[in-house]
Amino acid sequence: MHSESFWRKDIFSTDHKTIGKQFLFFGIFFLLFGGFQAMLLRWQLAYPGQPVPWWLMGFLYEGTGGIIDPDGFNRLFTMHGTIMIFWAITPILIGAFGNFLIPLQIGARDMAFPTLNMISFWTFFLSGVVLLLSHFLPAGSASGGWTSYPPLSLPGGGIPGLGQAFWTLSVTLMGAATMMGAINYIITVIRLRAPGMTYWRMPLSVWGLWLTSILNAIFVPVIAAGLIMLLLDQLLGTQFFVAGRLAAGGGGDPLLFQHVFWIFGHPEVYILILPVWGIVSDLLAIYSRKPAFGYKVTSICMSTIVVLSSIVWGHHMYTTGMSPLLGKAFMFLTLLISIPSSIFFFNWLGTLWRGSLHFDPPMLYTMSVIWVFGLGGLTGLYNATVTSDIYLHDTMFVVGHFHYTLAASVLFGGFAAIAHWFPRMFGRMLNPLMSKIHFWGTFITLNLVFFNMMVVGYAGQHRRIYNPSEYEFLQPLADMNVFITYAALVLGLFQILYLFNFVWSLVKGKVAETNPWRATTLEWTMDYPIPHGNFGEIPQVYHGPHEYSNPNTDQDWAPQTVEIKSS
Amino acid sequence: MGKIKKLLPGGIWFLDPPKDISLDGYRIDKVIQYTDFVITLYFAIVVIALVFFIWRYNSRKNPKASYDHGNQKKHLIMTVAMGLLVFFSIDVVIETMSFKDLKEAFWNFPKGKDVVRIEVMPQQYAWNFRYAGEDELFGTDDDIVPSQNIMHIPVNTPIVIQLTTYDVIHSFYLPNFRIKQDATPGMVTAMWFQAMETGQYEIACAELCGNSHFKMKGYLTVESEEDFDSWLGSLEPEGTKDELDDWGAEEVEGVPEFWAWAWKELK
Repeated sequence: MHSESFWRKDIFSTDHKTIGKQFLFFGIFFLLFGGFQAMLLRWQLAYPGQPVPWWLMGFLYEGTGGIIDPDGFNRLFTMHGTIMIFWAITPILIGAFGNFLIPLQIGARDMAFPTLNMISFWTFFLSGVVLLLSHFLPAGSASGGWTSYPPLSLPGGGIPGLGQAFWTLSVTLMGAATMMGAINYIITVIRLRAPGMTYWRMPLSVWGLWLTSILNAIFVPVIAAGLIMLLLDQLLGTQFFVAGRLAAGGGGDPLLFQHVFWIFGHPEVYILILPVWGIVSDLLAIYSRKPAFGYKVTSICMSTIVVLSSIVWGHHMYTTGMSPLLGKAFMFLTLLISIPSSIFFFNWLGTLWRGSLHFDPPMLYTMSVIWVFGLGGLTGLYNATVTSDIYLHDTMFVVGHFHYTLAASVLFGGFAAIAHWFPRMFGRMLNPLMSKIHFWGTFITLNLVFFNMMVVGYAGQHRRIYNPSEYEFLQPLADMNVFITYAALVLGLFQILYLFNFVWSLVKGKVAETNPWRATTLEWTMDYPIPHGNFGEIPQVYHGPHEYSNPNTDQDWAPQTVEIKSS
Repeated sequence: MGKIKKLLPGGIWFLDPPKDISLDGYRIDKVIQYTDFVITLYFAIVVIALVFFIWRYNSRKNPKASYDHGNQKKHLIMTVAMGLLVFFSIDVVIETMSFKDLKEAFWNFPKGKDVVRIEVMPQQYAWNFRYAGEDELFGTDDDIVPSQNIMHIPVNTPIVIQLTTYDVIHSFYLPNFRIKQDATPGMVTAMWFQAMETGQYEIACAELCGNSHFKMKGYLTVESEEDFDSWLGSLEPEGTKDELDDWGAEEVEGVPEFWAWAWKELK
């Protein structure tokens, strides 16, 4: 073993485990940042135009007398959406767990391209810096929504300064980092599986992360092309997406951007959720002490959804005036997704059936994904249907729905993953009592927030409005908006507890045994700290990832490295 | 489809949507109510299963899990059957309802004499409306353009609107009619609706269009045919007015292209 300097070991490391942790800390920072912005948004929606109180850092709005002005509000929801999707969920689920788990779970010494991996993180880091810097621009950050539709996001659209260009640049850089990661993950899974680790023996977490990477590799280039064209429009005066008064000569087509955006944007939804589906499928098996029900069917369903997700983007655009034929086709294709989704959903329940359920914190978080993803998935039906979407499109209903699928499912999946793999990453256990308090507090308040967002949306409240009291038909919703805000603030408080638990456990948590959850997969086979290179000798894999309660073994689990002899 | 009784105001969503005063809004409410009903049913099944499993199969009560990969033929048949059951009981039904409504109502534009045609041109941050006037042609001297944000329509009459805009994307949202339609620069979009009750209603912009998006509000008056005709008659036709009043100099440049366009015939 050669010794490495601090810079090579902890900063510009090429060890996938270190890079995974870097992504984790990076993602948690942005999760807190974006979460805080959500609190400010909720404050404004409950008490429009009233000064932000000191305990929500009212001093940030000193320039406007403590009040969030309409521009500030638009910046908040733009940055909240952008940050949560690209700089919080992406690095935590894909960056951190993709990096940490893939080589360990397939029995590889590292990623296929460790240096590319390091460059990927630092490109990601740079993109985050560009995004953060945009908050300090004299005219403020971007405020055209996370979708950044032109012509609003172009000069002449009415948003002053360079905020929109910084937004485009940072998301493009983020995309470059994601593409590097995606290529790396795909090749690693294809080339570096240990002997005996066939595709059908990979943990479902690896399946989810691998499928996500395939979607990333195909569709991030699409949005990157769109964003580069947008950037040219913003900075060099080209007119790819300009029409109307702002167009000189022929102009271009604003609708083209929407198509390009959603060709990426809909797969992006699955890019974010697929790792969670995989992780949930694995953890349900571990904490039920029972093999994952219908392992092959689950992975085939996830693969089917990957294919379907790429041909349904039009359901984001029913109200743009698309041709009836297209509208019908997109509706039909979208609804097809419910077949594979409900199949693997029933498989999750099948795993619990006749299991022996252990309600450790990771299991609590995992089981709550069944609840929130169930609600999120089912409420998607309203938006997939052309007619009900005509009413619900661009209302708070959509906001509540996608917070269930993305925010709630992905957060609980992330919490589950962190709680489960914390001992592998840091050698200590996350404090179970604090985790349980955090779980219940989050589960209850989160449902109060996101469900009631759908309620006010069904009652007509449209999205992205600074002050709902402008409209008479929204007056009856004022109390509900206040209620949602208080629920959201309590939800925020519980996340402070989580942060405390995370830091406290990092320093003072109970030192973990090698395999505290008695899991079968390869990442639990070596002592902490896992050395650079992971395995002393590349292991031989004998069976699938879920050999729990096999009658031919003495204990209720058999590591993948142990051959089971049938009696 | 039987009528689904609502247990709560607003069904499972607690709060009522704005009052529906349109001819076809009930169709949208019906699709939503059917979806409410089936998703409640399926979600209830999931929750009951979860609660039962937690009670019956927790490790204290059931210390030994059964060894079952769920990979036998019967399991596959069962889960696929469940998937298909969901698809046929939810998706196929709402798809059929929705297609029927689109064919019969929302995409079935009314033709003929009794139709009132209106051109809508939103801008940051106001609504412009244009009525064709006597000659029923747009872009002529007898066009009638009310003050910004003011729209009147006769009750029990099909209204067809065409929209475009010259700055950024907006969306014409009528909560009391359950509909919205985007207005995008460079293209003309259309929708139609019919009011069944007179009264004052609100128009909102549903697509983010800038910092005053939230107060881009229009006022819709639904009135009797006679009241509507006398209101229209009381307004000065466009040709006799100084356009700069409404517009400001720079907007006038774009007039023929983005405003008062020749009515697009629908196929």
